[in-house]
Amino acid sequence: MERTVTLGSKSGLHARPAGVFVQHAKGFQSQITLAKNDKTANGKSILSVLTLGAEQGDQVVLIANGDDAQSAMNELVPLLEGDLG
Amino acid sequence: MAEIDVLAPLDGAVVDLEAVPDEVFAQKMVGDGVAIDPSGQVAVAPVAGTLVKLFPGGHAFGIATGGGVELIVHLGLDTIELKGEGFGNIAVEGQEVQAGTPIVRFDRAVVERLGKVMISPVVSTGSGTIVRRASGTVRAGRDVLFVLEV
Repeated sequence: MERTVTLGSKSGLHARPAGVFVQHAKGFQSQITLAKNDKTANGKSILSVLTLGAEQGDQVVLIANGDDAQSAMNELVPLLEGDLG
Repeated sequence: MAEIDVLAPLDGAVVDLEAVPDEVFAQKMVGDGVAIDPSGQVAVAPVAGTLVKLFPGGHAFGIATGGGVELIVHLGLDTIELKGEGFGNIAVEGQEVQAGTPIVRFDRAVVERLGKVMISPVVSTGSGTIVRRASGTVRAGRDVLFVLEV
């Protein structure tokens, strides 16, 4: 399943917020992917997430595939919409 | 099991990551690693690999090796807010680098005048576990900062 989310973090997905996001994403068995425009990132790799260069207000697509995809969406969507730091 | 030497990307004094005044780094949420209180002006690549990410503002960069090792060097704390002031990129995102290749030039006096702390975390975010860490002072591109067992 997938959902388009507007990034709330004031400095986008830079190192610290990406660290927090990935820490949560790793708690799920599902494959977690983030996409922005034509770029996609492994949601469980900080460096991969950083390559998106996503900034506050950007639309990113969160994709979760696996048995716990619904719980992953429930936890990760609010994280992306909120202020990750 | 192979051991990979991660060189210091900066001249300076070694600081325990747990002592960094930023809870996300101190709690190792970004990854395990070591911080440096820098004395020089240039940050270099700590390992050979691809410069996967170099922020336009120069405050952080990440390098991936072919073997799954990933390292992030974050120059100062909350320095993304400076939007490049105090930093100047030398390398280009996407380029292949050797350990010791200059990546970013920085001016500690400018960063501190703008109210930011220059302590710089160097963290491992990919494969491997840190088995040894440096202490005391290190020289950029010459001394081993930590050793990863992969």
